[in-house]
Amino acid sequence: MGQVTDLAVSAILLAGLYATMAYGLGLIYGVLRIVNLNHGGMIMAGAYAGWWLHAQFGIDPYLSLIPVSALAFIVGVVIYRLLVRRLPRGAAGGVQSLLLLFGVWLVLRNAAYLLFSGNDQTIRTPYSTRAVSLAGAFLSVNRFAVFAIALLVLLALHLLLTRTYLGKAIRAVAQNPDSCTLVGVPVERIYALTFGLGTALAALAGLLAATLFSFNPDFGATELLKSFVVVVLGGLGSVAGTAVAALILAAVEVFAILALPAYLTAAVGFVLLVLVLVVRPGGLFGQRVLG
Amino acid sequence: MKRILPPWVRPRTLIAVAAAAAILAILPLVHGNRYWHNQLTETLLAIATALAWNWLGGYLGQVSFGHAAMFGLGGFIAGRMQVSLGVPMIAAWIVAGVIAGLYALVWGHPTLRLRGPYFSIATIGVGEATRLICTYWVWLTGGSSGMSLPVQVQLKYQLYWYALALALVALAVSYALRRSPLGLALLAIKSDVDAAGDVGVSAVRLQDLVLFLSGMTMGVCGGFYASYYSFIEPGDMFGFARSISFVLMGVIGGIGTIAGPAIGAVIFVLLRNSLIATYPQLYLGLYGLLLIFVILFEPLGLTGLYVRILRRARPDLGVTGMAAEESAVPATGAGAARVEQREAK
Repeated sequence: MGQVTDLAVSAILLAGLYATMAYGLGLIYGVLRIVNLNHGGMIMAGAYAGWWLHAQFGIDPYLSLIPVSALAFIVGVVIYRLLVRRLPRGAAGGVQSLLLLFGVWLVLRNAAYLLFSGNDQTIRTPYSTRAVSLAGAFLSVNRFAVFAIALLVLLALHLLLTRTYLGKAIRAVAQNPDSCTLVGVPVERIYALTFGLGTALAALAGLLAATLFSFNPDFGATELLKSFVVVVLGGLGSVAGTAVAALILAAVEVFAILALPAYLTAAVGFVLLVLVLVVRPGGLFGQRVLG
Repeated sequence: MKRILPPWVRPRTLIAVAAAAAILAILPLVHGNRYWHNQLTETLLAIATALAWNWLGGYLGQVSFGHAAMFGLGGFIAGRMQVSLGVPMIAAWIVAGVIAGLYALVWGHPTLRLRGPYFSIATIGVGEATRLICTYWVWLTGGSSGMSLPVQVQLKYQLYWYALALALVALAVSYALRRSPLGLALLAIKSDVDAAGDVGVSAVRLQDLVLFLSGMTMGVCGGFYASYYSFIEPGDMFGFARSISFVLMGVIGGIGTIAGPAIGAVIFVLLRNSLIATYPQLYLGLYGLLLIFVILFEPLGLTGLYVRILRRARPDLGVTGMAAEESAVPATGAGAARVEQREAK
């Protein structure tokens, strides 16, 4: 019984990270109809940025969340302005955007290999190994911190999308960009901002993940897939849907440890994806666009 | 001639390909150079894989980032059957190909049903999951230390002609999948699944067929690779770099065109063996930059470039000729419609 509560609590804590990770991917897909394959690359980049700031200057990884996200936002806007904007919209652009952003990811990966080598890295802080007891289970402080930050970020996003003009504009563009142009919404700027926002979320999630797990330049591929599973499960852009979907994925993964050898748990998320696609192609909650 | 061939086969193309194949077939007997013999064998194998990838990525617009899964699976199944069960080589290749094709169906069938990029994303996971599972499946793959097949020098020399046959079969299938009535159905599915359904094209069956053919060819190519190199290991066979190489060959040559990926494969092998061999630490970035530049400036790769030059040199020709027709296809729905009109005439 104790083991089950342990696993349940760690599943909930993990879900926070998964939700943050997935939200950026869902946001970009919801608004631009583009799957940002560079999402995985930015997760990896965020992890390395936090690690580098910590290793070089001793900056606490949680403090570097803000500069790293801000930088990633700029990177996202630049990628949009420089590359993505030039692609055709619609069906043909779909394949091209996949290939293009995949190319960006490869470049980032190679840069990481050159700069930091292929070795596994971890961010080690004085409190990395500290744990607190909760309902008889010992859980690391880091996991709680990550969970709390993830909740805050999701809440902030929800407020941004529902309570501000910018959020309204983003949702409006997601629904119908042509009408937005008619009523004077700067669609191109909204696209750039959304792409930047999604990219910043990826880097933020990567940095959060880096406080918990070790990483190397290949980090991000499984994370991209997990994000995608959550997006498919939870529908696009719905904060509540994303949270529930993240919880489902985390629970399935965590409890799979009981039944499967460790190396197979990586495949669990994927099997879940295929199952969901077969049973409910529209996602568990149907296709809702942002809100 | 007309009566033997189906109406969509151009006798001129057939003669040209037959002539090229004949030259390639006698070439090793003329030059006798072992280095070029090896290079050509590698290139022919690359051509077969690039074409097989293109059936999905080009003709159906479903880009796969995980085709190494079928390649690796085919390689290890063929290898294991020869080493442990003593199955003859060709039979082992075919069985391995069929299993690889079925494996592609297992994960591809559900994800291809959906519109949009689901399939492509799924392939990233498939590639990774297959690599992991097969690395730990020691009975099949020998684990991280890999699997060795008996080295046969004479066979390795002869395998050149098998590779040539493999590439020719892949080219023939590529031609048929584009030019036959079936090709029109595939175009229709790529342009608009709903509209295709309205005119009686069964997207589900055709997509599965193409997926199976693509996976099977990959499996056979994997089997060939195992026989040719006599040593295979999961990290290389299922590697991410291998999956990317299939994508890149297609993109360089022109995705969705008949012969583009074959040309892309030739360029890619040359590139890999010269540039990448000199700067091994930069290959991922170079692949990435290549992808970005081709997609941004010439989405149809070398085929698109060729058409552009042709148009500039001979504007009086208008948009005619085989290359122009091919190039008009994958870019837009309108292009697809144009081709359909032409074929209808």
